Amino acid sequence: MINLAGNKLMVNVENLSVSYRQQRKEVPALRGVSFAIPRGGTCALIGPSGCGKSTLLYVLSGLLGSFSGRVLVDDEPVQPLRRQTALILQDYGLLPWKKVFDNVGLGLDIRGINGRERTARVQRVLLEVGLWEMRDRYPSQLSGGQRQRVAIARALALEPDLLLMDEPFSSLDALTREKLQKQLLDIWQKKRMTVVLVTHSIEEAIFLGQIIIVLSEHPGRVVDIVENPRVGEPGYRKTPEFHALTTVLREKLIP
Amino acid sequence: MHERGYIKKTAATAASIAFLLLGWELLAVMLASPALPRPLPAFITFVREIPAGLWRHFLISSYRVVLSILLSLALALPCGMVLGREERFDRLAAPLVYLVYPVPKIVFLPVLMVLLGIGDISKIALITLVIFFQILVPIRDAARGINAGVINSVKSLGAGRWDIYKHVVWPAVLPEMLTALRVASGTAIAVLFFSETIVSQEGLGYYLLDAWSRYAYREMFAGIIAMGLLGFIIYMALDYLERRLCPWKFV
Repeated sequence: MINLAGNKLMVNVENLSVSYRQQRKEVPALRGVSFAIPRGGTCALIGPSGCGKSTLLYVLSGLLGSFSGRVLVDDEPVQPLRRQTALILQDYGLLPWKKVFDNVGLGLDIRGINGRERTARVQRVLLEVGLWEMRDRYPSQLSGGQRQRVAIARALALEPDLLLMDEPFSSLDALTREKLQKQLLDIWQKKRMTVVLVTHSIEEAIFLGQIIIVLSEHPGRVVDIVENPRVGEPGYRKTPEFHALTTVLREKLIP
Repeated sequence: MHERGYIKKTAATAASIAFLLLGWELLAVMLASPALPRPLPAFITFVREIPAGLWRHFLISSYRVVLSILLSLALALPCGMVLGREERFDRLAAPLVYLVYPVPKIVFLPVLMVLLGIGDISKIALITLVIFFQILVPIRDAARGINAGVINSVKSLGAGRWDIYKHVVWPAVLPEMLTALRVASGTAIAVLFFSETIVSQEGLGYYLLDAWSRYAYREMFAGIIAMGLLGFIIYMALDYLERRLCPWKFV
């Protein structure tokens, strides 16, 4: 079991409900959601579209402050602009007017880290994701997979202990997607930060999530929490257990 | 590669000028009227008129137009960015903008002359008043239309309000700002002409109207050429600025 007793929790969500206003009506997005993620673990949030997965990510990032329930990140109530949290949104959020190098350095600029320290950090993360040669290009000159890697590099430059990703690989072709999933796994195994990713791909959830949280149709509730401790084992994707879990998840999602 | 693009562009400019001159020549030959001189005599007159005083009118008009553009930009750019991003300000300002925007502001020239005199200042104020809105509205809309995902991503990096303006809003409105300036520079020259024909002793508008009243059609066309040249120079300057300010649009 990965939920090691005594291991500190990175994320602890208790009875979280979120609703938003739409044309003067309160529309519930999430209802009574509870789960916990240990420090250094990975978690995949999966569910039908519109179930509030992204909303949940916004709450964890601190960008969405109006919710009820208790959300602790690293034992503190979640707060906006927590410095060790990095968020990667679906469309990567790269700035078209900044070159790759400056997009990656943006978080550092904002935090007042500049000069040699900035250059060194940007170089290190760009080498890590294999895009150092592309540093002088603009995002429009990159492929989808390369853009996603720039977004990952930008997050890594902040040296986060919590990495939140909203459907990070959904718009990529199958080959690039698998390659990037593997790369994310490598980065995680090296740095052991906590990773939470939203996905609508069952395979991706099993490949990357030590904890898989299955959410229901709108408004999102936790249907089940599946433990998946073999994440990161070499060749896991090809094992019978992997495929068995696919079937289990599919049945939970499409009863 | 840049070199080739530059040559191509120069060739295209030359071709369009040639096309314009050819059309003018044909029309002048067909009309055969002194009111429309042929291009060559008009250009000869233009060259002769430059040292005879046209240069001074040209400089005065350029000064008025360029200063007005800079002034309205300095006012409209910050206002537009703030109105586009801060909804509560826009709610207050929008009715005002839409009430004043369509009013033909050239009718205020007499008022401006009473307030600011008949010299440069009333003319510059009039042009600024007109093109301020032409620059404000597109910049505001561009600022408003920025993708929320981009804003949230940058916020998640720890950006405060000022960082958002610096890293996102300002570069996002730059291309729209330059487009708005191109449109506004045409309007500015038209309003300049109008303002210089009323109680005025200098400027291209005065020069043109003076030639017209003397039936000096070649001189009148020398004035028209000078006005076209003024617009062309401003346009080229904006093109250059776009290359400097928005390099990501040219990759």
